[in-house]
Amino acid sequence: MVALALALLLGTTPGLSCQGRTAAGETFPTCFDPGTGWVLGTGLRVQDDAESLAVRTGFLVRWVRTSGSKADSLWIDSHRLLMTEAWGGEQQGLTFTAYDGLLRRHVEEGSLLVSIGRPRRIPFPFDVALAVRAAHLERRVWEGPGWTLETGRVGLLLDPLRTNTERGWLAVGPAASHALRHAPDGTRNEVSPFTSLLIDAGWETRDGRWALRATGLAGWSFGSDGGAGFRARGEVALEHVLLAVNDAPVVVRLTATGVKSDAGLFRRDEGMLGAGLAVRPFGAR
Amino acid sequence: MLVSAVTLGCALLLGQVEAPEEPEPWDLQMALPDASSPQQPSAGQARCLALPPTPAVPSGAWRARCDDAKKQCLVSPANELDSEGHEKDQPLQRVDRCVSNLMPMETVRQYRLVPAIAEAPPGWYRDERGRVLQYNFDLHRRVYVGGAWAPRWLRETDRLDERVRVDFGVDLEWPGDSERLHRMTLLDTELYLGDAASYDVTLLRYDFRSQNDAPLFRVTTFYGRPRRFDIHANLGFWMELLHGEQVRRGDAHGDFLSVATTQVTLDLWHSSDLVSYVRLRTGPAVERDRTNGFFTLVPAAALEGDLTLDRDGFHHVRFGAEAQKVLLAQAVEGRPLRPERLRLRAGYELIVLAINDQPVSVTLDGRGTWRDDVANAPAGWEWSAQAGLRFSLWAPARRSAPASPPGKG
Repeated sequence: MVALALALLLGTTPGLSCQGRTAAGETFPTCFDPGTGWVLGTGLRVQDDAESLAVRTGFLVRWVRTSGSKADSLWIDSHRLLMTEAWGGEQQGLTFTAYDGLLRRHVEEGSLLVSIGRPRRIPFPFDVALAVRAAHLERRVWEGPGWTLETGRVGLLLDPLRTNTERGWLAVGPAASHALRHAPDGTRNEVSPFTSLLIDAGWETRDGRWALRATGLAGWSFGSDGGAGFRARGEVALEHVLLAVNDAPVVVRLTATGVKSDAGLFRRDEGMLGAGLAVRPFGAR
Repeated sequence: MLVSAVTLGCALLLGQVEAPEEPEPWDLQMALPDASSPQQPSAGQARCLALPPTPAVPSGAWRARCDDAKKQCLVSPANELDSEGHEKDQPLQRVDRCVSNLMPMETVRQYRLVPAIAEAPPGWYRDERGRVLQYNFDLHRRVYVGGAWAPRWLRETDRLDERVRVDFGVDLEWPGDSERLHRMTLLDTELYLGDAASYDVTLLRYDFRSQNDAPLFRVTTFYGRPRRFDIHANLGFWMELLHGEQVRRGDAHGDFLSVATTQVTLDLWHSSDLVSYVRLRTGPAVERDRTNGFFTLVPAAALEGDLTLDRDGFHHVRFGAEAQKVLLAQAVEGRPLRPERLRLRAGYELIVLAINDQPVSVTLDGRGTWRDDVANAPAGWEWSAQAGLRFSLWAPARRSAPASPPGKG
């Protein structure tokens, strides 16, 4: 266990060579971490039959560390910082997320402690995870003045996959959030007090050249005007490393997004497809 | 007193006192070197020798480079010789100073003395009379002035302008650190006299190029066995300050002053000494349209080459094609809002002789320009074929000049 943790900490994968060698004897990385690096990308979006060119940037940080307070426990943390995406065309817009993280704790043998009466240990076949998002801004120029700001969102998730690596996870659980929708006629507060279900799932190959991530949120939110509404959104992204330039992976990224009653100021239904290229400096494993 | 007198008397009687032995006179008649004689090496210390006078070298002043192990010296007269083979008053030029008193005469007599031609600096040649002349020229370090016959044909109007060109300028070149070569031209001037007199003047042009051993891009592919492909790119920098150009086409004319141009260069090929190259060049310029009174932005891209074809710098080929687009211009009647220029040129320069070690070269140029930036002048090509002479001052030997003169291997 300790050896595995050390291996993960050092960024190596047992049994997999992550170094190529040139004829001159120089080495180069052949494994990449889809959750690490500085993302610089561009792509094409198709939304409501309107095409637009988009640019995307942000910082990804991921690490695995052993728990300082719990035995046989790993924290597998993924952080996304300052993620920004802007697109032009007839429906210009921008999204910005200051922080989006998934903090997953893996234990070798999950258990529940029942303290009523004599303490008893009951097997618990899940890892726990915490999904946190802060300051997610959405601005749609074509909708007119106004913006949507999700000030914060937190999800308490369970992961039945219980992998001990950063390469696979399936975290599901309730989430709470608060959002502001600012329009010329006023600002509306919306709260979802753990009345939404959040799912965050991912799978990556050992060498990190393929990565699939799916996120979704569905549930009810309650407005400051007393109204309540169901909304849902989901996104699937598939990434593949085409090549590397100066050890930075160049990635093709395909995305599909569906939104029900949650898009923009007017809580529209929406569908969007995207395809693009991105380079991820410092993304070598 | 008595003892001394007795001693002296005995000595005289017995004849015991011997006089000091005189050295035998040295009747060496050192021969003069001829065209087939070896050349003194540049390494080591040159020694001044005083040999017995000869009819050709009455002063007896010689200089030698010696191999003490072989006890052999290559010896040349210390002065130049005249056409009759007699010593002149002119000491040898461009030689190291020889050191006197390094070899006593007794030591010299033990050495084999071989007639030789004194050494010459790299790029220079010394004949058997000791005269030195330059045979290797660096035309990238010179002050030049020249003239050429430069007629011009305007295709659109089928007009032929009889012109001559006067050109001058200063070329500088110096190597930098880490395999980098800097080149600068000052006051690059071309004056066209005759029909449609005009000028093309650049106050300062500077560029550098370098040899980068580290790849600029390392591309790794993963389909099949992971492989890395290194892409080497030798980037450089190019700039111009104050490039003025006057254009005349019939009654129409335009005056343009490019205030500053900065461009990046990408060498497609360059020689190992970086002197010759074929490269791409691109970047913007801020230009003043002096005829119409406004500033413009002029991005440009060029493919150009400058090749020195031979070791001694006698043959030079230059060529280039440059496209320019004039942006941010104000509307001017009689010309498009965003004019364009395309310049083609190819030239050959050949050193045909050197006067006092200053080369005189023949220049042959072909130039073509398409432009529509002159108001009320029809857009189209102008062609010019130019042939002339150019006199270059300074023009030292190239840095790559060989130490051995031609024919000496």
